[in-house]
Amino acid sequence: MGASAETVLFWIFAVPLIASAAGVVAARNPVHAAMSLVSAFFWLAGIYVLLTAHLLAFVQVIVYAGAIMVLFLFVVMLLSLTDAELGLEKLSALKWVGVVGAAGMLVLVVSALAQSGPRAMRAVGADFGTVRAVGRILFTQYLLPFEATSVLLLVAIVGAVVVAKEKI
Amino acid sequence: MPSGQDIAALLPFLLLVLGALVLMLSEVFLRSGGRGYQSGLTIAFAAAAALAVPFAPQQVLFGGQAVSDGFAGFVTMVVCAGLALSALLGRGWLETRNMERGEYYALALFGASGMVLLGMATDLLLAFIAIEVMSLAVYSLAAYPRRGQRPPEAAFKYFILGSFASAILLYGSALYYGATGSTLLSAMRGGGGALLAAGLSLILVGLAFKVAAVPFHAWTPDVYEGAPTPATAFMAAGVKAAAFAFLTRGVLAMVAGTPFAVGNELGGVLGLLAVLTMVVGNLFALPQRNVKRMLAYSSIAQAGYLLVGVIAASRPESRAQGTSAVLVYLAAYAVTVIGAFSVLAVMEKREPTPDAGSADAWDVSRFAGLASRRPWLAFAMAIFMLSLAGVPPTAGFVAKLSVFQAAAGAKAWGLVVVGVLTSIMGVYYYLRVVVAMYMQPAEMEEPAAAPPTVAIAIAVAALLVVVVGFSPEPLTAWARAALLRM
Repeated sequence: MGASAETVLFWIFAVPLIASAAGVVAARNPVHAAMSLVSAFFWLAGIYVLLTAHLLAFVQVIVYAGAIMVLFLFVVMLLSLTDAELGLEKLSALKWVGVVGAAGMLVLVVSALAQSGPRAMRAVGADFGTVRAVGRILFTQYLLPFEATSVLLLVAIVGAVVVAKEKI
Repeated sequence: MPSGQDIAALLPFLLLVLGALVLMLSEVFLRSGGRGYQSGLTIAFAAAAALAVPFAPQQVLFGGQAVSDGFAGFVTMVVCAGLALSALLGRGWLETRNMERGEYYALALFGASGMVLLGMATDLLLAFIAIEVMSLAVYSLAAYPRRGQRPPEAAFKYFILGSFASAILLYGSALYYGATGSTLLSAMRGGGGALLAAGLSLILVGLAFKVAAVPFHAWTPDVYEGAPTPATAFMAAGVKAAAFAFLTRGVLAMVAGTPFAVGNELGGVLGLLAVLTMVVGNLFALPQRNVKRMLAYSSIAQAGYLLVGVIAASRPESRAQGTSAVLVYLAAYAVTVIGAFSVLAVMEKREPTPDAGSADAWDVSRFAGLASRRPWLAFAMAIFMLSLAGVPPTAGFVAKLSVFQAAAGAKAWGLVVVGVLTSIMGVYYYLRVVVAMYMQPAEMEEPAAAPPTVAIAIAVAALLVVVVGFSPEPLTAWARAALLRM
C-alpha cells in the first residue's frame, strides 16, 4: 500500500473519530453519548489496523465497543435520567476557565508536536501485532505491570462491592 | 524471565496482597461475630512485609520497571508502619460504631500494596497501575461508612477529581512515550525537546494532585473531613509517602537524563509549586476551627516542605542530603499525623449520623479543658501538634531542620526563608488546639474513653515522635544509608 493511500485511509478514520469523540462530550442524552463512544471505538480500531496492531484492533472492538459499552448502556438505561434530572447546561465562569485551559493545552501539544518535526516510524517485523508477539512481550518484558493489573482489577471489584453496600 | 531474586525483592508487595486476600476470606469463614483478630492479622501482615525489606536483594527487577533499593525499602517501612498504626486506630473506631468488617482491612492492605509498588516503580506504566491500586482502595475506604452524607460525598469528589488527575498523568505518559519510545524513567536520557517537556509537565500535574500540592489541592479538605478518621489517617500518611517517593525518583531521573536546561526550568516550576503550597496551605489553615479540616490544610502545607526537599534532591550538590531529608520528613509526618488523627478519633462526636448539622463534630471547642480531664490524651495531642508545627524536641522539628538544611545546601535561600516564615505562621493554628486543651475551661460533656487499641496507637506514635525528637541520629543515619538506584 502506498504512503498516499495510507494517508487517505488515516483521514477516513481520523475525522469521524474526532467527530464522534466530540459527540460524546456534546450529547445531552447519556444514551447518545454512549453510542457516540461506541462509534469512536470503532474508528479508533481502524487506526490500530493501519498501524498493523491487528490484535489490539480486535480487542478494541470486542472488549471496549462490545462488552464494556453494553455495560455502560445498561447502567445508563437503568438510571433512566429524565431531562429535569439532567438539568440545563449552563456555561459558568468556571467552565470558561476550563475551556481556556483546554485550548491552551491543545496549543501546547500541537506546537510541541510541530517542533519535534516529522519522524519515520520504526520498522517492525512481520509478526508485529500478532497474538503470539503481543503474548510474548506481555509475559516477558511487561510481566510485572501485567500481574499488577490483576491486583488492580481485584481492588476495583472489592471497592465497588464495598461502595455499593446499602448499609454497614 | 523472572528469577527467585525478583520474587524475593517483591516479597513486601506480595505479602501485603496475600494479607488482603486472607482478610477478605476471613469474612467468608466468619463463625462468630468476633472480629477482633482482623486488625491483628492486618498488623501481622504489615509487620511481615516490613521484616521482608532487609532481605530484599538490591537490584533492578524484571524488565527494569521497578527497582528494589534502600529508598524503596524505607518507603515500604513507612507505609507498613502507617498501615499498622491506622489498623490499630481503625479497630477501636470501627468497633465502637459497629461497622468493623474484613473488607475495611483488606482494602487498607491493598492500598498499602499499591503504595509499596509505587515506591519501587521506575516506569510510568507500572507507576500508573500502582497509583490506581492505591487510589481505588483509598476511594473505597473514604466511602466505607454508610452513615450520613459526608463519606459518600467525600469519596465521590475524590474519585472524580482523582480520575481526572490519573487521565492527565496518562496523557503525559503517552506524550513521554511518543518522545522517548519507552515508558521507563531512564529513557529520558538522550531524549529531549518540547514533546518530552509537555509530557513531563502533565505527569507532574498528575503527581501534584496525588501529593495535594497547590493549585491541585482543592479536593483535600473535603475528602479528609468526610472520610472516616482512620481512613483519613492512612491516606495522609501512606498516599503522601508513596506519591512523594515516585515524584523524587522522577525528578532525579529528569535531572540525570535531560539535555535541555532542565535544572533551571524544573527548579522554577517546582519552586513555584513549593512556595504556593507552603503559603496557601498555611494561610487556609489559619482560620479553621474544625480540627479535622485544619489537619487537612496542614497536610497541604507539609507537602510544600516536602517539595522543598525534592528540589534540594534535584541539585547535584545536595542530592544525598535532599533525598534523605525527604525520607526523614515522610517518616516523621506519617507517625505524627496518624497520632493526631487518633486523638481526634477519640474526641469526635459519636452520633449515628455524623453529618446532621454537626460541623462542630471536630470543633476545637471539644478540646477545651481536656488537660484536666484526660491529662495523657491532652499531652499526646500537644506532642503531635508541636511536631506538626516543627517545635523541638519532636520528630517534626528534626524533619523540618533536615529539609531546610538540604535546601540551604542547594543554596535555595528563598525557599528556606519562605519555609521558616510559613512554619512560624503554622505554630499559631497548631497551638490553638494546645491552648484550648490547657488554658480553657471545659465546656462539653466528658469525652468517651479511648478504646484500648486506639490508646496503644496514640502511645506508640507519641513515643516515636519524642524518641526521634531527642535522638534523631538512628533515623537520619538510616535515611542517609537508603540509597536510591536509578
